[in-house]
Amino acid sequence: MRAALGRTVFLGCLWAAQPALAQTPGDYTIRASLNSDIRGTQPGGNRDANTDVVMMHVLEGLVAYREDTSVGPMLAESWSLSEDGRTYTFKLRQGVTFHNGATMTAADVVWSWRRYLNPATQWRCLPDLDGRGLSKVVSVEAVDAQTVAVTLDKPSAIFLSIIARADCGQTAILHPDSVGADGQWREPIGTGPYRIGEWKRGQSIELTRFDRYASRQGEMDGFTGGKVAYAARLRFVVIPDASAARAALLGNSVDVLTDVPMAEATDLRTRPGVTLLHTPTMGVTAFLLQTRDPVLRDPRIRQAFALSLDVQQIVEGTMEGMAQQNPSIVPIRSRWHDEAQSQRPARNVAAARRLLAEAGYRGQPIRMQVNRRYANTYDAAVAAQAMAEEAGLKIELEVLDWATQLDRYTRGDYQMQSFIYSARLDPSLSYEMIAGPKETQPRKVWDNPAAQALVQRSMQVTDDAERQAILAELFKLFSQDVPMVILYNQPDFLAGRDAIQGLRAWPSGHTRLWNVWVR
Amino acid sequence: MLRYALNRLILSVPTLILVSAAVFLLMRLVPGDPVVLMLGDQADPQQAADMRAAMGLDRSVFVQYGLWLLHAVNGDLGRSTTNDLPVLPLALSRFQVTATIVFAAVAIAAVVAIPLGTVAAWRQNTKADFAIVSGATLLLSIPSFWLGLLMLLFFGLKLGWVPVVGYVSFSEDAFKAALYIVLPVATLTLIEIGILTRMARAAAIDVLRLEYVAHARAKGLRESRVLRRHVLPNAFAPTLTLIGIVLGNLLGGVAVIETVFTLPGLGRLLVDGIYARDYPVVQGCMLFIATIYVVVNLLVDLAYPFFDPRVTAS
Repeated sequence: MRAALGRTVFLGCLWAAQPALAQTPGDYTIRASLNSDIRGTQPGGNRDANTDVVMMHVLEGLVAYREDTSVGPMLAESWSLSEDGRTYTFKLRQGVTFHNGATMTAADVVWSWRRYLNPATQWRCLPDLDGRGLSKVVSVEAVDAQTVAVTLDKPSAIFLSIIARADCGQTAILHPDSVGADGQWREPIGTGPYRIGEWKRGQSIELTRFDRYASRQGEMDGFTGGKVAYAARLRFVVIPDASAARAALLGNSVDVLTDVPMAEATDLRTRPGVTLLHTPTMGVTAFLLQTRDPVLRDPRIRQAFALSLDVQQIVEGTMEGMAQQNPSIVPIRSRWHDEAQSQRPARNVAAARRLLAEAGYRGQPIRMQVNRRYANTYDAAVAAQAMAEEAGLKIELEVLDWATQLDRYTRGDYQMQSFIYSARLDPSLSYEMIAGPKETQPRKVWDNPAAQALVQRSMQVTDDAERQAILAELFKLFSQDVPMVILYNQPDFLAGRDAIQGLRAWPSGHTRLWNVWVR
Repeated sequence: MLRYALNRLILSVPTLILVSAAVFLLMRLVPGDPVVLMLGDQADPQQAADMRAAMGLDRSVFVQYGLWLLHAVNGDLGRSTTNDLPVLPLALSRFQVTATIVFAAVAIAAVVAIPLGTVAAWRQNTKADFAIVSGATLLLSIPSFWLGLLMLLFFGLKLGWVPVVGYVSFSEDAFKAALYIVLPVATLTLIEIGILTRMARAAAIDVLRLEYVAHARAKGLRESRVLRRHVLPNAFAPTLTLIGIVLGNLLGGVAVIETVFTLPGLGRLLVDGIYARDYPVVQGCMLFIATIYVVVNLLVDLAYPFFDPRVTAS
C-alpha cells in the first residue's frame, strides 16, 4: 500500500513538475467536476467550497495565500505597515485590467473595500473587520492613483490572513459596474485569468479565458504567483454522485475530479490513465468533547478517552495511509506547526482505566454524533468506539445528517461529535475557531479564559518568535484540557486524466486550473 | 365532464393547503438551520441572527406560513436561499427534465408490460408465466441506483455508446438530448416494466375468469381475438389507475436516477433543497408535486370512461 502511495505521490510530483515552458494557450476546454452547483458569484456572499473554487479563477484581491499558506501580494505590488502597526499601505500593480477592459486604480480598490464594509453587502467576513472581531477598519483611502491605505483601530497580526481568505472572496477588487445603479449585484467584473461564461444552473458553469489578463511574474504560488490560462475555457460540471463522477473521469466525460471522496480515491489511484494527487489540507478532523456535559466536564474522563485511542491506527485504518496524524489544531502543513506540536501521548489503556476509576465513571453511555456525508469521520468514530470500550468507556454512535450535526455543533448540543472543520490558513484563526466562551458562543469547543487571552495575544503580536512561543503554550494548555482529540488534517484528493498536465494539489484544498494544460 | 373536472379541482384546494401547511411545519421541525449551513463552522452569532432576520426566519412560524401562502396564491413561491433564484420558474424548468424522462419511460414500460402481463395471465401457471413473473419480480427488486450505475458503467464506460454525465435539452440539440437521456429512460423503463407487468397480469387474470370471456371462447373465437377484444381492453382500465399513480409518483421527481445520471430534474432539486434546508425550494417543490398528483389523477379519472364504458363522469 505504501509503495502504491509512494508511486502515486511520485508520479503526481513528476506530473506537476513538467515544464510549462513549451506550452502555449490553446483553444480547448478543460472539464472539471463539482459535487454541487455554485451558490452565487458575489465574493464573500452566498458561497460554499465549490463556489470558492470557481470564483478564485475569476477574482483576485490585494493579497493572496501562497503555497506555504503565508500571505503574499496579488494585486498589490507590495505593502508596508506603519510604525504603530495600524495602517497598511498597499502599492498597486501597474497595468492590471478588469474583465471589462478598464484599468484598475486605487479608486476601484477603495470602492470595493467600502462596499465590503457596508453592512448592506452582507459580506461574510465583515464581523472580523468591523470591531466585532479583533480589530476594526476605520478608514480606506486612496493615497494616489496607485496607492491605498487601510487603517485599523488597533494592530492585528491576522489582518492580511483574513482578507486573503477564499471564503471572504479574497476581498476581491471589483469594477464598480459589478453592481447595478440600484446597488444590486449583477456579475463579477474582476481581474482574474478567467471570467464567467455560461452558467447552466444545476448543470455546469463555464469560464472563458481573459485574454488581457495581467499575470504576476514568477512561478505559480498558491492563489498568487504567475498565472497562465492555457485552456480557452474551463467547464465545471455538476456531478453530485461520486461514483458517477468517477465513471465520468474514466469515460473521458470530464478531465479533472475535484474533492474526490476517500472511497473513490482508493479506487482511482490504481486506475491506468488517471493520476491521483493528494496533500494534507488545513482542514481538521477531530472528536469534539463537550466540556459542559455532566460526564465529560471532568477532564480525567476526557483524558481517559484520549489515552484509550491509538490515533495512528485510526488514521492509517480509515485513510489508508493517505493522511498523517496531527495532535494540534495548527495544521501539519502550516509553517507554524513545529515538532513540539507533533507530540501525542501513546495509547495507554491501563492509564485510561485508572483515570476513569478516579473520576468515578460508572459506565454511563456517552453519545457521539456522526454523519455519513464525511465517511472518514464516521469510520474514525467506529474505530474509536471499539478502542474506548477496551478502556471501559461506553460510547454510542448517533448518525445524523450533516445539516443536523452542524446545527447541534453550533448550539453546543452534543456530548461528543466526530467532526470536520474547514481550513483555516492562520494558526491564530485555527485556535480562534475552537476557543471562546460557551456562554455567548455555544459552538466554541474550548472554554478556557487563559487560552482565550493567549489566542488574542497571538493575533496581535507581529514578532514571529513570540507568536511561535504563544502557540507552544496554547498547545500545552490544549493537551491538558483535552476539549477535543484531533486526528489529522484531511487530505485534498484531486484526480485527472493523464493528458492533463500541471495540476497540483495544495494545502488550501482549492483546485486551480490556471497553469494547467492538455498534453 | 367539465363540471366534474372543475369540482375536482376546487376540491383539491383544501388538499393543497393542507399539504403546504404540513410541509411547512415539518421542515421547521427538522433539525438544521439554513443560515448555519450557509455560514458553516465559522458562523458568527450576530451575523447569523442578522441573516435570519433578513430571511424572515426570526418571525413566528405562523406568520412565516401566512406570508408564504399569501405570496404562493399570487404565484410567487419565494426565492431559493441556496442560489437566490425564484422557486416557481426553477421548479418548472426542472420539471421539464423530469417529465421528459418519466413520460418516455412510463409510455415504453406500459407498451411492453401490458401485453406481457396479459400473456402471463393467459398462460397462468405455465413456464411462460413463471418466466415473466420472475423477470418482473427481479426488475422490481433491483435498486434503481444500482441498475443505473451498472448501465452507466457498461453502456457509457465500457462500450462508450452514450455520454456518461450531463444533460442537453431537446431545444438545444435533439439528437444529443436523446443520447443523454437514453440510459436514465432505459433504467426507469426496466423498473416500471416490473411494476406494470405484475399489475397487468393480476388485472388480466380477473378478467379471464369472467363469464363473458368464457362466452367468447364458447362462441368459438380464436384465443388471440379473445385476448385482443375482450381481455386486454377490460384489463387495461385497472392498470391505467396504477399508471396514473406511478406517473404522479415519478413526476414528483426521480431523485436517485437524476443524481446517478446528473440530470437537473425536480427530484434532485428537492433532495438538494432538503439537505441545504432551503425552505422555499422544499415548500415550493412539494406544493408543485402535490399539484402534479392532483392533476395527473384527475386526468386519469377523466380518461377512465374512454377505456371502461361502465364508468361515467356522472
